[in-house]
Amino acid sequence: MRKCKRRMTSDELRTTNDERLPVISERLKSVKACILLLVIASFCFGLADSVDAKVYIDIASPSVRQLPVSIIIKGPPKSKELEWIIKNDLETTGMFEFVDPDVPGAEVKAFLDVSISNDIKVILSVKDLVEGKEVLKKRLTVSKKASLRTMAHSISNDIYYVATDRKGIFRTKLSYLVSEKSGRKGLRVMDWDGFNARKIVSRGLTSSHSWSQDGKFLLFASERKRKWKIYLRDLKRGKEMVLFSSKGLNLVGGTSADDLVAFSSSKGGSSEIYTMNMFGQKFKRLTRSYGIDVSPVFSPDGKKIAFVSDRGGSPQIYTMDIKGRGIKRLTFEGSYNTSPSWSADGKRIAYVGRKNGKNQIFVLKSDGKDLRQLTFEGNNEGPSISPDGFFIAFDSDRDGKRGIYVMRINGEGQKRITKKYLKAMSPKWSPYLK
Amino acid sequence: MKRLFIILILVFAVGCQKKYTRTPAEDQQPVDEQVREEVMTPAEEEIVEPVEIVEEESVEEERLSAEEKAAAVFKDVLFEYDKYDIRPDARVILDSVADFLNAEKSVNIVIEGHCDERGTNEYNLALGENRGKAAMKYLLARGIPSSRMLVITYGEEKPVCMGSNDSCWQSNRRAHFVITK
Repeated sequence: MRKCKRRMTSDELRTTNDERLPVISERLKSVKACILLLVIASFCFGLADSVDAKVYIDIASPSVRQLPVSIIIKGPPKSKELEWIIKNDLETTGMFEFVDPDVPGAEVKAFLDVSISNDIKVILSVKDLVEGKEVLKKRLTVSKKASLRTMAHSISNDIYYVATDRKGIFRTKLSYLVSEKSGRKGLRVMDWDGFNARKIVSRGLTSSHSWSQDGKFLLFASERKRKWKIYLRDLKRGKEMVLFSSKGLNLVGGTSADDLVAFSSSKGGSSEIYTMNMFGQKFKRLTRSYGIDVSPVFSPDGKKIAFVSDRGGSPQIYTMDIKGRGIKRLTFEGSYNTSPSWSADGKRIAYVGRKNGKNQIFVLKSDGKDLRQLTFEGNNEGPSISPDGFFIAFDSDRDGKRGIYVMRINGEGQKRITKKYLKAMSPKWSPYLK
Repeated sequence: MKRLFIILILVFAVGCQKKYTRTPAEDQQPVDEQVREEVMTPAEEEIVEPVEIVEEESVEEERLSAEEKAAAVFKDVLFEYDKYDIRPDARVILDSVADFLNAEKSVNIVIEGHCDERGTNEYNLALGENRGKAAMKYLLARGIPSSRMLVITYGEEKPVCMGSNDSCWQSNRRAHFVITK
């Protein structure tokens, strides 16, 4: 008989969540009321011919062409800032070429009519200049409390969607660690472009961390008073609870679409891989080896786990199913391969490999083939693939102090997104956020 | 005798060379230039030459306090790169730690496991823990009950040596003892 494995609906999750976090339903109401971006007011009026929408950039094609775009902004001086943010967003993809509005050549024109009063309103019109028709017209409204950046990233998503027919990642965030003066490590969250940073956890020494699949919670492992525990943090309410605690080292790995949490614990002696649910229940032990097993992450379909083990004498990346069966070694190059991150389509795994005495980011197909080195300068660690699979966030010490960088999945367009003076590391890309 | 004479001359000659004599040319330097020099370097005037203090050469003798004795015993146990087995040189340290703990029954310890900066953070935490545990296992075998020992890993997060070179990396790959009583 087939074992019935049912995915928890979000409603079920919420009700069960309520048992532990009694104010969640209230929170949902308040979130609706004061959510940073009031996109609720973003009326689509006249999304032209969505049936036969043209795709301007075919991402799947091997040689992606750059789409010439003009951006025109009408509004108070502050609205110029919108343009900078949008251009930076789109530029990072490498798929757009910006054309001066006064010079011919653009195929697509985005016109932003901005008004700033109690809230920020933008009427966005995207025109296909070749066919001479408007392909998108909508109004976006953001409350004054929210940043102009949230508005800009939303518009970037709209333009990107028109051009590629795909969801942009410009509203996603990165969680990451920051070295504090006291020797502690804090957990922070920022926009994907490095701005809008927010402190999440400052107590103790925080290490591994992971987003819940709905983007509402951050799970993290922290050392406080000589104990490593796994915590769950509600991002909207700032409430924190202990998810797992035992003797020894407990580190959180990844979360799955089925709301499982993979983690490592040395409660039984050596560090082994376990899974549990989002309430810290239903533990399952997956590995049994004498040495170190750490850093488990789920494949996007939730059926497999990639992890690091030194069972073969050196740390290497292995995969197995979520019952701990079918363990396969994935990496064979070099004697130090750690920190796996699975791409959204499940086809590739990014990881850290040691080469010529330095740590570098590599990508390989999840069958172990087609190995590619993406970084070459300094030490590069902690890769995390964006939810659309087109970017990798990572940390690097190539410019001195360790900071957070973003690059495209093929290694192009590497750029630092955190400030030079900040010692930051271990970025984790959020899922798509609402 | 002749040799001594030569040496004396040499010493005298060297002494003379080192002496600074002002040449007439320098004496004739325009006054205003000297004034300007003083203005430009006011800080130099305030520099007071350090005075050497001659300390008394007596020897004070006292018994080491328990803490001091402990400090001499609880040296860091060092490890090889990416390894957590106990090296022969570590056995000597661990043996004296065991002797100390067997003698001082009121002393409990925390064993911190540490790594050098080269590995990745998460793996290093696991590695650090295994180093701490390797030290603990050795002490267990020497009769120290596990109730008196706690292992905590800090991975590469708390280096003792901040450089990026072999000697720093070696001193950071360590099990470090902290007395808790």
